[in-house]
Amino acid sequence: MHIAVCLSRLPDPNTVEVDPLTGAVDASRMLYILNPADAAALERALQLRAPEDRVTALTVGPAEADSILRDALAVGADDVLRVWEEGRTSTRPAVTALLLATALRTTELPDMLLCGTRSLATGSGKVPALIAEYLDWPVVTDIVDFTLQGSMVRFLRRLAKGARSEGEVMLPAVLAVEAGAAALRYAGLPDLMKAKRAAIPVQDLSELGLSPVDLNFPAPTAQATMPPYRRPREIFVPEASLPPHERVLQVMSAGIAQKSGRIVSGSPEQAADQIIAFLADRGFVDRAG
Amino acid sequence: MVMTTHDEKMRTVRFRVDDTAHISVDGEKCKSCAVRACVTVCPAGLFVPLDDGSVLFNYEQCFECGACYFVCTQEGAIRWTYPRGGFGVTFRES
Amino acid sequence: MAVNGGSEHFDVIVVGAGPAGSAAALIAARAGLSVALIERGEYPGAKNVSGAVFYGSAILNKLIPGWWEQAPVERHVCRRDLVLMSPTTSVSLDFRSSAAGYSEPPYNGFTILRPKFDRWFAAQAEAAGAFLLTSAVVDDVIKEDGQVVGVQVRRDMGELRGDVVIACDGANSWLARKAGLQRELHTHELSLGVKEVIGLDEATIRERFQLTGDEGVALEYVGAVTDSVHGGAFLYTNRDSLSLGILGQLSSLVEHKKRPYDLLEAFKAHPAVAPLVRGGTLREYSAHLIPEAGWNMVPTLYGDGILVAGDAAGFCLATGIYIEGINYAIQSGLAAGTAAVEACRRQDFTRYSLMKYMELLYQRNVLTDLRAYRHAPAFVNGERLQNVYPELAARISESLFRVAGDRKQKLLPLYWQTLQQVGTKPRHVLKDLYHVARAYLW
Repeated sequence: MHIAVCLSRLPDPNTVEVDPLTGAVDASRMLYILNPADAAALERALQLRAPEDRVTALTVGPAEADSILRDALAVGADDVLRVWEEGRTSTRPAVTALLLATALRTTELPDMLLCGTRSLATGSGKVPALIAEYLDWPVVTDIVDFTLQGSMVRFLRRLAKGARSEGEVMLPAVLAVEAGAAALRYAGLPDLMKAKRAAIPVQDLSELGLSPVDLNFPAPTAQATMPPYRRPREIFVPEASLPPHERVLQVMSAGIAQKSGRIVSGSPEQAADQIIAFLADRGFVDRAG
Repeated sequence: MVMTTHDEKMRTVRFRVDDTAHISVDGEKCKSCAVRACVTVCPAGLFVPLDDGSVLFNYEQCFECGACYFVCTQEGAIRWTYPRGGFGVTFRES
Repeated sequence: MAVNGGSEHFDVIVVGAGPAGSAAALIAARAGLSVALIERGEYPGAKNVSGAVFYGSAILNKLIPGWWEQAPVERHVCRRDLVLMSPTTSVSLDFRSSAAGYSEPPYNGFTILRPKFDRWFAAQAEAAGAFLLTSAVVDDVIKEDGQVVGVQVRRDMGELRGDVVIACDGANSWLARKAGLQRELHTHELSLGVKEVIGLDEATIRERFQLTGDEGVALEYVGAVTDSVHGGAFLYTNRDSLSLGILGQLSSLVEHKKRPYDLLEAFKAHPAVAPLVRGGTLREYSAHLIPEAGWNMVPTLYGDGILVAGDAAGFCLATGIYIEGINYAIQSGLAAGTAAVEACRRQDFTRYSLMKYMELLYQRNVLTDLRAYRHAPAFVNGERLQNVYPELAARISESLFRVAGDRKQKLLPLYWQTLQQVGTKPRHVLKDLYHVARAYLW
């Protein structure tokens, strides 16, 4: 099996300092790291690799990004590839995804593509889904754990509020894993030395059969919407007329005791009148209505 | 700001924290120590004396200077090594 | 390429890519040897802290002509101040020169920021052919029949073998201790330096310190600046920041129960310092140990298959007048590298062959200087120079310059009177004069 892993090199958030006045970031003080979710993806790929399998690490970035590919070689990746258009200063998710997908297609399509589910930098989490779209593969994001059964992957996804969902997907597929899915191993000395000396292959646009025009995506447009107005929360205030002791008791109970229900009595009409009066008192209905 | 609190100072320093501690302190041995030199000299203020007489140590923001190792008077109270390569403090400008 | 680090062999293994290590690796690589330069930080300089003024421009110029044109230097130092402090008063000796050697190439000294400078210097060694390996911490030496034959790196299959190991692993040198060359150090031999880099714009720095262009100043303080703790303080100008910090003898910090960062804050608040740092913003806080005992803490510098250089060897001159270390680190690194080259030529790596290092250290004036000023560290860190004389100088100056309509005293009575006020006996002063003379004059 051939497993490809997409890696990205990004500034360590602890070293990104924004000038409070100008909003500018001091680039000279930034240090770069391998995106933690990508590191987890790489580790899962290495764990999955059988002796006859191959793990390829790819990245989109300038020459400085070679360092993370060397790190990948040091921990055991078999091949690496860097994709870049000289002179480019940044990439949007659509560009990154297109470059990665094209690189995979022009070299060799893997059986499985692993990546981090989102980067620490912008965290949009778009790249895995966009690569899947370019390759016309299924994508599973937010994976916390998965197992391989033949050519099927059983996965556990993270949902909101601590929930998990289980599922299955057939390979080939894009699997985007969470940063906590695995801790990247520590390279041995011989591998570290070998990786330091390795030549890092680079492909540019012409080698990928792309032209700069292909990377010109229309700027994304955002539609501004106003969230629905929410009623301000009522804050409990004890009644000023009560003696201090009573007020303290009210504060201590945070008004909860007051929420006891009330049972109205009388004929249905009288009961209805009482309820309407109650609601009107609290502003829920118009008294005239 | 020129005058800064210790917390503000520590926030300017970058650490890559390893999973395991490179320095460990045997709090039991500190109970018989009257000097507590480590608490005084640690430039990162990482040694905290506890009520029971022992000393608590937090390795995560260590400068790896070795001051605690040299001032410690209790045989075997501090086990000191450097962190694994690539981890620990990373100075950018000093 | 071998699959096991143990089966790859280097002529020279240099541990620590600071100024000493990079100098040693550079000279050995230039001689055509296979050199491994091993650094535990993410990059060379990541763990390194100095004041820092580098007074070794001429030395480096012989190695890399016009080095300052390509290296990340901050300002060339053409002004030095030695300041004696009492809690309220400061008395300073202000030196400033635009003479050749100070404000013209090759310059006398530069302020530098170590993480930037060390990275550049290690890159020079790498360009000369040394193999630079970062993120690798060395735990021990490998010995066979008493001969050091390599180092143990804390990684899987971490044995690395070489003919000569040069330990440049800093003030807290585990390698020198593990190899049995250095004893455990005492707390009075080590000082703790805590430092801040404070950002300040270039124009303000020039105006505030009366500098033009790339000129820089080095201010060094002694006295009440460290309270009762034996130590000192410094303030250096970088391009668009100030490096300032305090040094405190470890034993003295413990004795007086003073936290180093509290002393640093007090230093910045001193009336003589506060106006210099006003308006700055903290960029980085750091700390490091400094081997300050000089000659008296120098370890055995060579063994079978091993040499010790830089701070690991205690090559630091802290005498009050001279506060230097990086220049000795480079000189000793060059000496060690040269000794390793000659040993490789002879294919003899015993201590008798590596003893050549001692001769080279004297030739490069490292041991010569340390030996000449061997009595200075004890005097500089002595109680009276630290706490009495700065106070004395401050009080005499206060009396001397105050005009209140009283009868003016002549200097000698004023001196005696002030001496009595600060509680020092004349015989102590005479004794100290002898010590000063012995430490500095002959």
